Parts: sequence; C-alpha cells; structure tokens
Amino acid sequence: MAGLVQIVIGGLLQGGVFAIVALGFSLVYRVTNVVNLAQGAFCVLGAMGMYYFQVEFGWPILPAALAAVASATAFGVLVGLATFVPGVARLPPSSALVLTAGLLTFFVGVTLVVWGNQPYALPPFSGEAPFVLGGLRIPSQGLWLAGIAAAMIAALWLLLHKTPLGRALRACAENPLAARLMGIDLPRMMLLSFALAALIGSAGGVLVAPIMSLQFDSGQFFTISGFIAVAIGGMASFAGSIVGGLLLGVAEQLAAFYVSSLFANTLALLLLLAVLILRPAGLFAGGPARRSDVRDDTQVRRALVRLRGRAALGFAVALVAVLALLPALPLPGGLLASLVIALILFIAVLGLDVLMGFAGQVSLGHAGFMAVGGYAAAILATTYDWPPLAATLAALVLSVACALVLAATTRRLRGHYLALATLAFGLLVDSLTVGLVDLTGGPSGLVGIPAFTAAGFAFDTPTRMYYLVLALAVVLVVMLEGGMRMGFGRALKAVRSDQLAAAALGVNVGRVKIAALCLSSALASLSGSLYAFNFHFLSPEIVSTSRSFELIAMLVLGGEGTLIGGFFGSLVLTLLPTLVQDLAAFKTAAEGAILVVIFLAMPEGLFGRIAFWLGRVAPGMPRPRAEIAP
Amino acid sequence: MTPALACRAVSRTFGGVHAVEDVSFVVPQGSLCALIGPNGAGKTTLFNVATNLFPPTSGEILFFGRSAAGRAPHQLAADGVIRTFQTARVFPGMTTLENVLAGAHLHARVGALAQMLWTRAARGEERRLTAKADALLDLVGLRDARERATADLAIGAQKLIEIVRALMAGPRLLLLDEPAAGLNDRETAELAALLRAIRDAGTTILVVEHNMSLVMGVADEVFVLDAGRLIARGPPAAIQQDRAVIEAYLGRAEAAAP
Repeated sequence: MAGLVQIVIGGLLQGGVFAIVALGFSLVYRVTNVVNLAQGAFCVLGAMGMYYFQVEFGWPILPAALAAVASATAFGVLVGLATFVPGVARLPPSSALVLTAGLLTFFVGVTLVVWGNQPYALPPFSGEAPFVLGGLRIPSQGLWLAGIAAAMIAALWLLLHKTPLGRALRACAENPLAARLMGIDLPRMMLLSFALAALIGSAGGVLVAPIMSLQFDSGQFFTISGFIAVAIGGMASFAGSIVGGLLLGVAEQLAAFYVSSLFANTLALLLLLAVLILRPAGLFAGGPARRSDVRDDTQVRRALVRLRGRAALGFAVALVAVLALLPALPLPGGLLASLVIALILFIAVLGLDVLMGFAGQVSLGHAGFMAVGGYAAAILATTYDWPPLAATLAALVLSVACALVLAATTRRLRGHYLALATLAFGLLVDSLTVGLVDLTGGPSGLVGIPAFTAAGFAFDTPTRMYYLVLALAVVLVVMLEGGMRMGFGRALKAVRSDQLAAAALGVNVGRVKIAALCLSSALASLSGSLYAFNFHFLSPEIVSTSRSFELIAMLVLGGEGTLIGGFFGSLVLTLLPTLVQDLAAFKTAAEGAILVVIFLAMPEGLFGRIAFWLGRVAPGMPRPRAEIAP
Repeated sequence: MTPALACRAVSRTFGGVHAVEDVSFVVPQGSLCALIGPNGAGKTTLFNVATNLFPPTSGEILFFGRSAAGRAPHQLAADGVIRTFQTARVFPGMTTLENVLAGAHLHARVGALAQMLWTRAARGEERRLTAKADALLDLVGLRDARERATADLAIGAQKLIEIVRALMAGPRLLLLDEPAAGLNDRETAELAALLRAIRDAGTTILVVEHNMSLVMGVADEVFVLDAGRLIARGPPAAIQQDRAVIEAYLGRAEAAAP
C-alpha cells in the first residue's frame, strides 16, 4: 500500500510538470487557436539555462533560477515575435500547427548543438535528503515543485480572471474579430500568451530538472505529455489542464511500475486516442470550442506552381537523364548511398504531398506508416524468410489496413484534432517499436535484414539499389502526376479548398480523404520497406516522430502540391549533412529552421522557385495577408 | 410530372426563433422560379434547410419525389440537385478551368487508377470534359481566364464560374443562392440571359434573390417570404401588384433606399 502511495506521489510530481506544460498549451490555444507544439521545448530551455547559470557559472540557486527563466522566456519571445505571431496571422491554422512542429524541431536541434546527446541532471534546490512523512519519502525537490507550480497556477488564474489584461486575453479567445474591433491589439495578446507559456514552461523545466534527467529531445517528451494532458482535460479548460496533467503523471507512473516502463508511453497514447475519439473536446469541455477545419484555403491564397507543356517535359527529361547518369560519374564515397536514401525518403514525401499538398490533411505521424512498412517487411523477410518483394507487398497491405482503422476511428474528428490524432498514431507506433522487444528488437533495432530481391535479382550494391529506387520514383511520379492532374486530383484539391462546396458538387468528402490517406500510407510503407532492405537495419529512431517532422520539412522545402518538389526537399535535407560533415550536428536545428522560414518566406518551395525561374508559373502567387483571419 | 422540388409545411426554429414557418411551395420541372423576400425573411435558411445543411424542424422536402431527409449534400448532388452559395465559393487554389472541371466530378467514368496509368479512356475523358468546360467558359466570356487563379478574378467572374461549375455537374435542378449579389447592372443582365438559356436547355432553376430586376425579368413564378412565412406566390407581374408584398418588401425597400 505504501508502495502504491509512493508511486502516486511520484506520478503527481511528474504530473505537475505536465500540468504546467498543458496550461501553456491551453493558454496559447485559447488566444491563437493554434496548438503550439514547441511548448515542451521551453522546459528544456529553462533547464538548460539553469544548468549554465548554476553549474557552469556557479551562481546561487535563486538568481540562477530567475536568470534561467528570464533568458529562456526572452528567447521564446524573440522566436515568437519573429515566427509564431506572423505565422498565425498569415497561415491557416493547420499550417501554423506545422510551423510550431518546425519550432519544436528547431529547439530540439539547438539543444542538441549546445548540450550534445548526453543526459543532464541538476542538483536539487535543498539537498538530496528526502522529506519523510509517516514513512513516505518525498524528494525535497518535489515540495519545491508542488509549491511553486501551485503558486504559478494560482497567479495565472488571477491574471486571467481578475485583471483587465486577462479579460483582453480571454476576449481574443472567444471572438478575435470582436476583440480587435474593441481595440484589443491581437498580435500583442498572441505574443503575450506565447511569452506567458514560455515563462511557466521554462520555470517548470527549472523545477523538474533535479528529479528528471533531461536531454536534447526531452522537449519532444514534454510537448507530447503536456499535449496528451491538455487533450484529456480539454483544450480550452484551465482546470482540465491541471487535472489532465496530474492524471497522466499518475497513470504513467503506475503503468511503468505495474506493466513496463517501455509501455508507459503506449498506455498514455491509448488513453489519448480514446479521449480524442470518445470525447474530442476533452473531459472538461470548457468555453466555446473553436473548431477550425482542415487547412482552410478559403482564407489563404496559395501558389499555383505548375510547369506546363514543353517546359515540364524538358525539365523532367533533363532531370531523369542527369539522375540516370550519376552513377557513371566519379562520385565522392558515400554520395550514391545518400542519394539512395534521398530517393527512398522522396517516395514517402510523395505520399505526404498527396495527403497534405493536394488533399489538405495534415499528418504529423507519417513515419508511423514507414515504421509499419519497414518493420513488417523486415520481420517477414528476416524471421519468416519471406521473399522481400512479397514481404514489401504484405507490409503495404498492413499499412493501408492501419490507415483504414485510423480513418474509421477518427472519422468524426476534424482539423486540429485529426492532425493531432495522426501525431498520436505516429507516437503509438513509435512506442510499440520500442516496447515490442521480441518482435522488433526494441530500442537497439532489428539487424540482419537481407537485401531487396525481385525475380531472382538481388539489389545488393548501392548502384543497383539506386537504379531500383530511381525507377520506382520515376514511375510513381508519372502515375501520381496523371492522377493529380485529372479528376482524382481535382477532387482532392476541391476538398482542400472548400469541403462544403466540394460536397455540393457531389464529392464524397469523407471517402476522398480516406482514399488520400490510404494512398499516402501505402507510399510511406513502401518507403519504409525499401529503407529497411537498403540499410539492412531498422531502429525506432529511423522511423520516429522526428522523421515525421523531417518528411514535412522536406515537403515544405520542396514545395507542396507539386509532387516533384519533394525530391528537391529530400535531396537537400539528406545530402547537406553528408556533404558537409561538420554540419551534421546542426541537422535537426536546420530542419526546424528551414521548415519555419520556408513556411513564412517562401511558401511555394524550392520547386516553386525553379518554376519561377523557368518563367512558367501560373499567375496568382500568394501575397502575405495584412489582416488576421477572424 | 413530379415537381423538381416540393416543400411541404417546412418549419425551422433556432432556439425558439421561427426562421422558417410552415412554408409550402412547389417548383415544377422545367421552370425558373424565384424565392424573394426582404433581409432576414429566411430565404437562405430555407435554402440551407432544403439542401440539408441543417434539417427542417418539421415538414418535408422532396426533390423529384424523393425525400431529402437524411441525404448528405453529396448524395443530393448525385440526385441531380446542385447548389451554389451566397458568397461565391470557388476553389481558390485552382485555375478557372480546374474549377469548372471539378464540377464534372459526378460524371467521371474513369477511376483514379486509370488516371494514374494514363489510360486511353482517362485521357479521352479528360479531353472531352475540357472541351465541354471550354465551351461553357466561352458561353460566359471567361475563356481568357481559364489558366488564371480564380482567387485573382473579380467577384462577378467568380460568381459566373461558380454557376458554370454547377452546370458541369449536369444538374436536373439548379439552386442558386443570390447569384446577382455583388454584380453590376451589365453583369446582372448577362446573368439573366444565362439563366434563361439554362432554363430553355431543360434545367429547372430555383433562384433565391434580392435583386428585383433580375427576378422580375426572368422568373416564371415568384415565391415571397417574409418573416419566415410565405406571403405571396405567382407570376412576376402579379407579385409586383400584390399589396402584401408591396408592404412587406417593396415598401420597406423603398424606404431603405437613399
């Protein structure tokens, strides 16, 4: 019994941090209608600041903590000012969501550059000796955490509900247009909510750093946990965030103790999916749920990037010729292998383009399908000696089945909730690849995967593999080009642009979305299988949520809705770290930064630029909007 | 012949407010009917109820004799009932031609796979539909805009594109929600000619309209809605003489005129 209480206490402490992150989510969401996925990164930024001021510079605890929170908040405000606020003003909500995924990636990357991949733990505020009460041992840091978290929560509640400033913030949440008409400076309120979220997030990080070892990617962990907490509690509810956080903390600790720490995450994600499906608004549905739909293009104009006729044919022929001749050239070592990877990832990006660029559905968990494809094919080929081709096809069927299940369970969800359900799906697959050690080899990965063979021919050298994936990519691009330029693509684009108008023309919106998801999951699965057969190895990291974000970065960098654009995106993001080894450490930060910058400054992507230069762009490039959408 | 649209005692309340109350009327096949009324009369509500965006509180709506109850918007479209929207809802991320082609969704006989394989049938259908779309764009004088992003075009052009897109769907009944809103006089006259041409080609039309000159010029029969109730029906000439209509609608409209 005492053991159980001990676990619950541990869970409540961890849950306290989740609650703080969840509050940050709720705060920003209520003012901007955007789920800020960068939220968890503030915890790590705060902890990182604390580490430098306290351990490296030797400051006393109080000034170090204040300086850490202040500098993390200042950094957050700068980033928010430069990216988040203009992004929210200019982008449809779902693109803003992807933008914050870019910010998260950027923060994780920055932490990686500064801290490396070592875990760090800070000394507790008041010594290691735990506080003992009736036989229960509570870490003294836990008291600090609980006390300060409670104080911050109370202060925030007072600010929101008892001051004119809080009223203005809440007005923005309820009706941004009316708030503007009443003279409330909406961008400033957005920045304020972002800054407050950064403040409490970094304070939470400083408090929790002594009882939880943190490392560069802990930001993702906090974002995910905080998000699960806020989704359980209710996105727009103050109390919901707190209860959701505490509940999640306790549930995770109990699961880790009674089941396995490898599955703690899985259970939390199942909990999240259950809540998303059964009660999308959360347990504490407070306030008006501002439901925004998928990337509502009715508000935002987008580029019509298109090469036509001869220019397109010439460009395609030249590109394929160059790519086909590459292996004959004396390339630096390893370059061909990197090109193979770039092409394999391009296949997944193609699928993502169909889903995101054409059908307008955001998937934040696309690597989940790569994982299903990769692991299923690899396990069938390795453990059960299936021929790789058959294994790949079987994996593809399995992935499409997963897509159908996902679509069926989430068919009532729209907009953000759908995007977040895909994130949950990716994370769930992630945690299963780690947890199902017997099947997947767990965190250390699956080894000894054979080379791809078809009709007795083994693709066992980089050159052979290169030609295989090049041929596949060309065939897929030609096929998708046909589908996208004819009726199927028009139905997808109609759904992206305006679902109501599409339905009025007889488009079965639900079915079109499912078709896009299935097609795109099949391509991701194929990409995952090829990756495994090419690399002869597969680990959870290769197909993790970071990969999902990377695929999005590749697509956005190359140009959405262009099919071929994704190739340039995956080429640049795959080759840059290989060509310039010194930059490898900056890869993650660069991916995040690229995603953010491209979204804000060059929404037409690299291929859009190329098409521009070739002078065949259809008129109607997007102009940044001056107004904030109501 | 079964009417294209029959509203039987349709009511719709919003939390105690009767937006539409006990409205019954019939749109015969092959006719061009108009539903008019002052602001807030419930025209658009009735329109949205009819197309099942929200179901009626009571009463029944039949399209070609078939109840609309429980039919999703895309199912109604498949029945040949195609609507447009009060604010032109063109697809902004597509060119004019693509917008119009998107209207042909219901008539695509070739599947996505055939399109991906560039089969002869797929390419042939694409050519056929493009020719039809071009012909329709010619009809409304928008051929020059076919490669332009619709978001760049003037409101008048966008409204025409929306109608042309609806025509691509081959409607048996075309429901137009304030097609003349935002158009100038010349464009309104062109719209009137277009509507007559569509009707003469055999498509039934119900137009919800504010613009009296359009309605009086083209409609075979006019239904007048005021405060959620149908107060008059008849040919345009009779409606113009109707005392109740003049009081409810024209009188107020005159008073509101500068």
